[in-house]
Amino acid sequence: MSKITVAGVRQNVSELLEYSLETKKRNFLETVELQIGLKNYDPQRDKRFSGTIKLPSVPRPNMSICILGDQFDIDRAKNGGVDAMSSDDLKKLNKNKKLIKKLARKYDAFIASESLIKMIPRILGPGLSKAGKFPTPVGHNDDLSGRITEVKSTIKFQLKKVLCLGVAVGNVSMTQEQLVANIMLAINYLVSLLKKGWQNVGSLTIKATMSPPKRLY
Amino acid sequence: MGKRKVTALEKVEVDFVNLQLKIRSDPSAYEPEFDNQYQQYLSQREIFLGDTTSDTNTIKQFHDLVDLISHVADCYREKLADFPDDLKAILTKNHAVLAPELREKIVGSLGLLRRKNVIDSTSLLTTLFPVLVDTPSKSLRALLFSKIMSDLRGSNSKTTNHRLNRTIQNVLYELVVKDRTSPKAIWAVKLTRELWKRQVWTDARPVDVMKEACLADNEKVVVGGVRFFLGGDKEREEIEDDESDDEVDLAKFRHQLGINKKSKKKAKSYQQAVSKVKKQERKKHKPHPLNFSALHLLHDPQDFAEKLFQKHLLNTKTKLTLDSKLLVLQLVTRLVGLHKLTIVSLYSWFIKHLTPKQQSVTSFLAALAQGTHNLVPPDVIEPLLIKIANEFISEAAAAEVAAAGLNAIREICVRQPLAMNETLLQDLVRYKKSKDKGTMMAAKGLLSLYREVGAELLQKKDRGKDATIGLKSGSMKQQRFGEEQVGEIEGLELLAEWKEGERKRKRAEKGLPEDMGSDEEEEAEEESDGWEVASLESSDSGGWINVSSDSEDEGPPTKKRRESAGEDSESVEDSKTGDEEKEGGAFSELATTTILTPADHLKLQELRMEASLDKALNGNRPSKKKQDAIDRHADDALTAEQIEAPARLRKMTKEERVALAKEGKPGREEHKSTQAIRKSKKEAAGKSTSNKEKQRGKNMLMTLGKAKMKQKRSLVATQKVLRGHIDRAKKGGRRSNF
Repeated sequence: MSKITVAGVRQNVSELLEYSLETKKRNFLETVELQIGLKNYDPQRDKRFSGTIKLPSVPRPNMSICILGDQFDIDRAKNGGVDAMSSDDLKKLNKNKKLIKKLARKYDAFIASESLIKMIPRILGPGLSKAGKFPTPVGHNDDLSGRITEVKSTIKFQLKKVLCLGVAVGNVSMTQEQLVANIMLAINYLVSLLKKGWQNVGSLTIKATMSPPKRLY
Repeated sequence: MGKRKVTALEKVEVDFVNLQLKIRSDPSAYEPEFDNQYQQYLSQREIFLGDTTSDTNTIKQFHDLVDLISHVADCYREKLADFPDDLKAILTKNHAVLAPELREKIVGSLGLLRRKNVIDSTSLLTTLFPVLVDTPSKSLRALLFSKIMSDLRGSNSKTTNHRLNRTIQNVLYELVVKDRTSPKAIWAVKLTRELWKRQVWTDARPVDVMKEACLADNEKVVVGGVRFFLGGDKEREEIEDDESDDEVDLAKFRHQLGINKKSKKKAKSYQQAVSKVKKQERKKHKPHPLNFSALHLLHDPQDFAEKLFQKHLLNTKTKLTLDSKLLVLQLVTRLVGLHKLTIVSLYSWFIKHLTPKQQSVTSFLAALAQGTHNLVPPDVIEPLLIKIANEFISEAAAAEVAAAGLNAIREICVRQPLAMNETLLQDLVRYKKSKDKGTMMAAKGLLSLYREVGAELLQKKDRGKDATIGLKSGSMKQQRFGEEQVGEIEGLELLAEWKEGERKRKRAEKGLPEDMGSDEEEEAEEESDGWEVASLESSDSGGWINVSSDSEDEGPPTKKRRESAGEDSESVEDSKTGDEEKEGGAFSELATTTILTPADHLKLQELRMEASLDKALNGNRPSKKKQDAIDRHADDALTAEQIEAPARLRKMTKEERVALAKEGKPGREEHKSTQAIRKSKKEAAGKSTSNKEKQRGKNMLMTLGKAKMKQKRSLVATQKVLRGHIDRAKKGGRRSNF
């Protein structure tokens, strides 16, 4: 396919939503993923790109988040109904690799208070950054729930050992408008990251967890 | 007696060549003869295996027999089923005691059998490789290495032979892992490196082999492995550049062909050039091979870096020399910086090496800076910074030392700005008044860095205009630890503004009111816009339709947008739906409702450039240095030269000046006149000589007769000739080409 149009994206999204909401409704909230294939891209010369962008609406509301904080933040987290751990809890893990891996696997993202975050590499070792889940900082003056939505709505493009990548851009409970907006922003941002713009894009596909893929480009 | 013997030998030799030809032309007819020779070979082999140190005569005979049989092996496949195995057995068991010629013949014959497809690559390579590793003979090793390389390259030339590669890689891996102290693993390293360089192996397995080599106990093997990671990718790039370098200018070739003398040789070389160009074209259109750098293909970089550090650096019993240690250190820090690994003990290890007296201290400084990244806790780095400041930077220290220290601190702080404290920074910044240029530049570099990343730490007078304004308005904030910058499409608001302006201008041109108009019209207009610019590009982006608003789906919201845009063209806030506006006011409508076309991206770049220029004109101009810093990617290594950079700033010595002056001059091997050099250059470029030059070069004896005749001419004849010359000159020479 040689071009991508707004109308085309819109139509594909509506087909996708129809399939996941009516034709074959599943018993869980399906995530919509944007899959990207690159072409004419030399990973060694063009270096590797990576970037994060905040989407207009939260793609995965069910993301589990853990607060690693001091007493103040733990109290705030408890009020908000979010899991929290103190530095003593972390120290109890005793740098045990397995336990830390388990912790990293249990949550999708971590938020740490400013006072604690500098200690994280010392207390936990490389476990969290190895899993790509190094915590984001939150200050005492920051709005915790705002921070959480920010973390939830931020997506990361990162090229690993292959020339294709996928990101979650939404879920099927979102409206068509929201989904289209998220997809467009993600595509535009991705293309702006690439050195040769659209010439580097091989394919764009959207897909809900259990739906057939829909090719956009 | 002696004479007779020689003729007999010659006869035998002639026979072999003849027989080979005959057998190849008609295998079935000459089968009895071949059988005869084969029997002889078998009996010779028996004798030979019994006593390998036989005299030269028998060796020669055996040599010839092997040669003959391997050349015709493809004609009698069934009969010679165990011939290859025989050869392999002889080579494997007796390679140490065999005569060199025979040994090489056997290796050559095995290669021949492979080319004739009698044996497969795997069996050939698994035979040759152990011999390569074991043999003490240098010439045999060279031969075997080249044979193995050529066979691997050959069998991977059309398609990747995954199975063969895997087998060989396993053999290499085993060799490295089995005995960590043995120097034999160097062959695995050499082979892998060469194949990596030639892009025969590009996946993760050879990287694994090299990883294990790095963790070996033998210094040579370790250094080989480490060098691979530090330079293997560069080598690969260079060799690729070399290959694409020699491009042929076909037009020039054709032109020369029209002018110079035509010959079969020239025509043939033209054909070759054409086919070469075609091949290159085909290569250009091929999809790009996936070549990730070896550092990225590592399976578990954290584990690898930790092990390397523990084994070769932290361990006090290591016997590595300082140079090899530095190499290992470079690799470890490179990995840490690239993959953002956490090795907390690495930084405290550095402390004892950070003194000006330490040998090649700039390499240590570069390694330290390279191993710093934004997830290293600042309190780990801070003592190092203080140590560098104390040891290197003082009024009493030599200028180079101070400059190196300041540069190192700057490079560290580029990667982790939080490590700096206020008093230290203000202290260091005062060196911007230093009399030494290198120190002054380094201090200024540090200052300009902190104006951008942490102006609060600077004294008020040092902050500069931009930073002061930024701090006051709150647009400038120091990043917190662990915070990742959220990306955005740079300059998007500029594009939106520009688009709005363009739209208005077009409306005005058509005499329409600025704010209203039918959707269809605009759509058509913008469509043609996208087309125009897209067609200017050579991209394959075909039909780009930039539909900024879809008329049936989005009627009301677009109108709303247009109204607001009319009032204030700068506000490009999302006003589409209520909840969206609430959630993220900062999302540009442009990015969420349209797809940016290639044309848009081009414009975006242009606008971004303009904006940065504007800013530069108002404030300080963008320095070349800053641009360099941007160009330098995080993936690139930091070298000691960059820390020592101020060395360039001092005056050059005489030798350096002479060398620099010589650099631009053309190569002048022998003493020759400029004319002669020019002439030989012309000749090398394939240009022919002018008539004048031909005249000048003419053999003197050939001119003598004419010169004599001229003397004897009568007055009338002379006049006639001169008149003729004038006439000819008037009409433009013999060819009358005016």
